[in-house]
Amino acid sequence: MAWIILIALAGAAIARPAAELLGKASGWVMSLVPLALFVMILQHAGDVADGGAVMSTISWVPSLGVDVTLRLDGFSMLFSLLITGIGTLVTIYAGAYFAEKPVADMGRFLALILLFMAAMLGTVLSDDLIVMFVFWELTSLTSFMLIGFDGHKPEARKAAIQSLLVTGGGGLVLFAGILLIGMTLGTFSFTEVLSRSGELVASPWAGVIAALIMIGAFTKSAQVPFHFWLPNAMAAPTPASAYLHSATMVKLGIFLLARFDAVFATMPAFGTTLVVVGSLTMTVAALKALRAEGYKAVLAHSTVASLGILVMLIGLDGEVAAVATVGFILAHALYKAALFFCAGTAIHATGETSLRKLGGLARFLPVTAVAAVLASLSMAGLPPFVGFISKEYLFEAQLTNGWNVVPIVVAVLVNAVMCGVAGVVSIKPFYFKSHRVDAVKHGETPGLLVGPLLLATGGVVIGLFPGGIGDLLIGPAASALHGSPIDVSFKLWHGLTPMLVLSALVVSIGVAIVVWWDAIHDRLRRHDRLFRLIGDGGYHFVVDGTLEIARASTRLLQNGDQRRYTAVVVAVVVAGLAIALFAGPAGFYIAAPDGSLRVSVTLVLALSAAGAVATVLARSLIAALVSVGIVGFAVAVIFMLNGAPDLALTQIAVETLLVILLTAVLLRLPARQRHSRTTGERRRDAALATAFGLVIFLAVASMSAIPIDMSLTEYFGQTSYLEGFGRNVVNVILVDYRAIDTLGEIAVVAFATIAAWALLRGSGARVRTKE
Amino acid sequence: MQIIFATMSRLFFVLMIGVSLFMLFRGHNEPGGGFIGGLIAALGFALLAMARDVETARRALVVHPVALMGGGLLLSFVSGLPGLLSDRSFLTHWWMEIGSTHLGTATTFDIGVYCVVVGGVLCLVFRLYEGIEQ
Repeated sequence: MAWIILIALAGAAIARPAAELLGKASGWVMSLVPLALFVMILQHAGDVADGGAVMSTISWVPSLGVDVTLRLDGFSMLFSLLITGIGTLVTIYAGAYFAEKPVADMGRFLALILLFMAAMLGTVLSDDLIVMFVFWELTSLTSFMLIGFDGHKPEARKAAIQSLLVTGGGGLVLFAGILLIGMTLGTFSFTEVLSRSGELVASPWAGVIAALIMIGAFTKSAQVPFHFWLPNAMAAPTPASAYLHSATMVKLGIFLLARFDAVFATMPAFGTTLVVVGSLTMTVAALKALRAEGYKAVLAHSTVASLGILVMLIGLDGEVAAVATVGFILAHALYKAALFFCAGTAIHATGETSLRKLGGLARFLPVTAVAAVLASLSMAGLPPFVGFISKEYLFEAQLTNGWNVVPIVVAVLVNAVMCGVAGVVSIKPFYFKSHRVDAVKHGETPGLLVGPLLLATGGVVIGLFPGGIGDLLIGPAASALHGSPIDVSFKLWHGLTPMLVLSALVVSIGVAIVVWWDAIHDRLRRHDRLFRLIGDGGYHFVVDGTLEIARASTRLLQNGDQRRYTAVVVAVVVAGLAIALFAGPAGFYIAAPDGSLRVSVTLVLALSAAGAVATVLARSLIAALVSVGIVGFAVAVIFMLNGAPDLALTQIAVETLLVILLTAVLLRLPARQRHSRTTGERRRDAALATAFGLVIFLAVASMSAIPIDMSLTEYFGQTSYLEGFGRNVVNVILVDYRAIDTLGEIAVVAFATIAAWALLRGSGARVRTKE
Repeated sequence: MQIIFATMSRLFFVLMIGVSLFMLFRGHNEPGGGFIGGLIAALGFALLAMARDVETARRALVVHPVALMGGGLLLSFVSGLPGLLSDRSFLTHWWMEIGSTHLGTATTFDIGVYCVVVGGVLCLVFRLYEGIEQ
């Protein structure tokens, strides 16, 4: 099964050169990749039909217990089929959509779409939560690139960054939840998490984990309060929007919630939160859909409303809710992708994005118009379309759940708005006489028609013959969700039920909305303040606030004054060491050294102290440099006296080099200059320096008062010649025992030097003192 | 004094390079090693740059300091590869005995360290001295 993801990745890799080679036909040819995957996945249909799951494992990071385990059950099968099936149509459509654009653009787009598809497939198929998270974030990244595809447009860049911040940030929250699961249960395998869900729910972390996972899913699926990014994401080219909104990324949040619904089934707060958040999202999105002006904007807001419905459905318990969830996912994918395709064709043909300025397009785009009407009838929930069946299940799930009347009222109203939206987006631009469009720039081409036609007719065919798809897809998926096999009677006519009454209510309100669309629309547009409140104001507040804090801290800390940097660093070191010394468990103490006073050491130390005093008193920089050198060499002698010749040699060499380097720097500075520091600043520096010396003294004294553990010394002393063939223990440790440390260190030295070298480039030519 | 310094620098340079190589190769048994040897060699080149000019020191080094640094890093890395062949552990050194001395990939590793240190120090020394000599 790993082949599925690998083939998708390979398709992404070859898309660009293939586009150069194939030109206009590349959409058709490249669509063979998702089509082949679709067929491959379909071959497993028999294995998962009776509630089973196909697993395949590749070992990845065994030391961390992370394996690439793939799991294909009914639910991931439904998603994989949607991803590859709609992916096929999107690829074909993209080929036609980009036909008149440069071929490099088409290649880049196809590569991104296929990469996106691979990431989606990886997310829905992986059983290991860590692997799933990697793919999850990959979908955020690829969608960032797709939304910002027209990088020259500022709004595309803005929308791309917004979507990345929201979904990527949410992904990190989700990651925290996954890690907590791993810490609680000791496994990242979803199958095992599912089987041990009782243990998870009983743990003290259960509430936190559920909250983190919900936040992650809400950001991805654009739930309140993260609902704002999805409508902005329509800045992406239309084929990407169609994919994003119908089958893919925004549904991942739904996918995750549905998966974890079984785990958290016994936590009442989980379901309640989902119902509340879903209902809120539905309401907000429905209002915004009525107010929106752009063709894609209306569709985008209705997507958010649909996602709200799905979240609410997952929050409800029971078999019917599971069937309703699955049915709605399928129905929504079919009609929303088709409608986006139609919107894309209409916008492509006219160059006009506002719904208010489109009308009478059916003369120029007859087939698209038919597809749009068919798809929107399914969206409106009219028989005999699949949308009708899924809506009946939605109401049945609500009525059979002991919930109070509020969610039902919300659901009826939102569905009515969806019904109205469906009428407006399909009838208005294609058939209404007002704002008639007189000419189009591009007509329909086969590539632009395959997608919408197939999906729209699919909605009718499934509606008319629901049995097959019910057994093949809906049943296994709902069973996988519910955790036990469900006997699904996915059929069109349920008899005269309360659900039918609600449906009738929905349709009549929907028709009213279509008729009075302009009036409602104009009235809502006047309420600016309300919509600013439920728009992305909060997002901008957070982002702008963060940037302002960053600017303020930069002004405070990075003001370009080298002395201040040094002062800050020294102050932090002093504070850290002091806290460790005074508050630490060991405390500090100065033990009197045992043994007699060593005259040689005392003399050298006195010399070094004299050097330090001379440094402070020195008037010229050169004199200060020489005085510091005294201290350094004295330290080297101390090393020598204590039997560390390697250290002493290094210290002497470094000290000499330091003099050479500092001389080069000092030669550029004026030899004598008055102090530019005020008395106050100098006092502060002196205090800081004294404190630094004092703390270091205390630290060293406390450390040397503790008896040294000699076991390592003995070990290296005994083994260095036997195992490393060297008598110099220091060198054997450096090149043999800890050679990889040394390798890392010299790599750091090399990179740091290259950076400094690059910074110094050209400074020599500019600064020529000595005039 | 400048003339004396410049003349003597030649001699000192040769001596210091000799000492640095000695330090490098004795390092495994006596105090020394790639790091110290590298520092001493860098001092030798820096002396040349101070006493004469950077151009002379650059010519004496033959290769560019950045290239030397890269080469050293590569050498150290490559010296760990034989270990992968023998017991599949990176940087496990190979040894062979010639008379009483042991020669092995650890020495190659140390030579890499030597090159990185020389190249890295000289990168900065040459850059800093280039601006001020007249």
